[in-house]
Amino acid sequence: MSGPSTLNVQLSTRPQFPWRIVDVIVAGIFIYAGAIKALDPVQFASDIDNYKIVPWPVSVVLAFYLPWLEIFCGFALVVRLLYRGALSISTALILTFTFATVAAKVRGLDITCGCFGHASQHWSFPAHLATNLGILAALLALWVSNRSAKPL
Amino acid sequence: MTSSLVRQALILAALALLPGVGEAIYFRHKISWQSPIPPSELVTVAQAHVWGENVIWVDARPDEEFARDHVPGALSLNEDRWNELLPQFLAVWSPGRKIVVYCSSLSCNASLEIAVRLRKEAQLPDVFVLEGGWEQVTSER
Amino acid sequence: MKTHILAFILSIIVCFGARAELKWDKTEVELHPTPADKQAVGHFTYQNTGKEPIHFKSVHASCGCTTAQTQKDQVPPGDKGEITATFTIGDRTGTQVKTVTVETDDPANPKTVLTLRTIIPQQLEITPTFVFWKQGEKPDPKTITVKVGKEFTVNHIKVTSSSPDFQTKVEEAGKGEFKIDVQPKETNNLVASTLTIQPEDSQKVFYATARITNAPTVQ
Repeated sequence: MSGPSTLNVQLSTRPQFPWRIVDVIVAGIFIYAGAIKALDPVQFASDIDNYKIVPWPVSVVLAFYLPWLEIFCGFALVVRLLYRGALSISTALILTFTFATVAAKVRGLDITCGCFGHASQHWSFPAHLATNLGILAALLALWVSNRSAKPL
Repeated sequence: MTSSLVRQALILAALALLPGVGEAIYFRHKISWQSPIPPSELVTVAQAHVWGENVIWVDARPDEEFARDHVPGALSLNEDRWNELLPQFLAVWSPGRKIVVYCSSLSCNASLEIAVRLRKEAQLPDVFVLEGGWEQVTSER
Repeated sequence: MKTHILAFILSIIVCFGARAELKWDKTEVELHPTPADKQAVGHFTYQNTGKEPIHFKSVHASCGCTTAQTQKDQVPPGDKGEITATFTIGDRTGTQVKTVTVETDDPANPKTVLTLRTIIPQQLEITPTFVFWKQGEKPDPKTITVKVGKEFTVNHIKVTSSSPDFQTKVEEAGKGEFKIDVQPKETNNLVASTLTIQPEDSQKVFYATARITNAPTVQ
């Protein structure tokens, strides 16, 4: 009666409410960041091209695609559909942005495009880095808390 | 568990392609795949001739090439001596004139860079890059 | 017959083994000149790891602003060397990518593209670098914004006008930003001035132009 079956029930659901808030906050950040860049992909392509790291056609592809990837991942986090997939893509994106931010700083590149596209061009390096790391921490926390939850 | 994660990620990646492609189609006239010059800023020799006297020709090639031959009346503007040459160009420019920048051929970047600097730094309107470059001018002479 | 076949096979093996091979330590070099530097130099080191000497057939750069020097035209097997690429910065800004194409008689690598990325530090960003008034226009002041590059600290800038026809006033507009108000005395004459903008304690000088232009031409 009690014992193993109760234990199973407890392990298979995580406390919903606090983690849902984190879901919504992280999702909101991704949707906002994606939307800002999706509004002006021409400017975003130009921002990416300024680093002169990838050829122009690649900058164009990234500029049109990345923002929507962020938006869809954000929505997936909120409605808890394709949740794990969204977590993995979001984490990969944040890791990439963080790496790019640090690499840019180390090489003395002026960070004109970061998480938040052209709008964040006036942010300082510590602000960029702190934001990225904060989001990364939240994502990792969501991963850990979700391990014990029912797979979706 | 890992395979469902990968499957979900792939579905999301594929879904995001749809609006991405949609936007690319929507913005297709504002952006070019080959170069950072938007189509609205490229002009052909024919178009430039229609503007006639109103055009200021800017030669973005290095000094030696400019000295050998250039469009009659063209001004030299290059990144080696930008600070020295820009004021000379500005002395000739007046509002309403159309600026057409050219260099060795479409694959040469100098005309693009000069045009970008004229638009962004000097904030001049009506700055265009010549399609086909110097080769196009000489072939149509 | 057997010895012929053996000799044939051996000669093929020897041929393969005798292939030359030029190995580059890095084919992309990133340079960080200081604002005072007029040139940025990149060193591309290589080694001939093959058994045949290698000849450099041609070495040429993507632009006149970059020159490339090989120390030697022929590289004996085992030898190391370097190609030195010198990029003359001129008045360029931002991230500049220039390439040097090296052609050799090495059948494994007949053509190599060496890439020089130069990140030119921008001490001051001046927008716009050109302010103008049409002849007869009201001589109101126009503003030039000067932003200090993120890696730099500039507390004061000095602005001088080459012509007394234009007056300038400098204001600090927050952290790392200045505003220069430029005003002509009158706009009847087609006069011009070169504004020299210098950060304190710096040799580097920046420019902007102010002028009175003709009224718009008919389009």
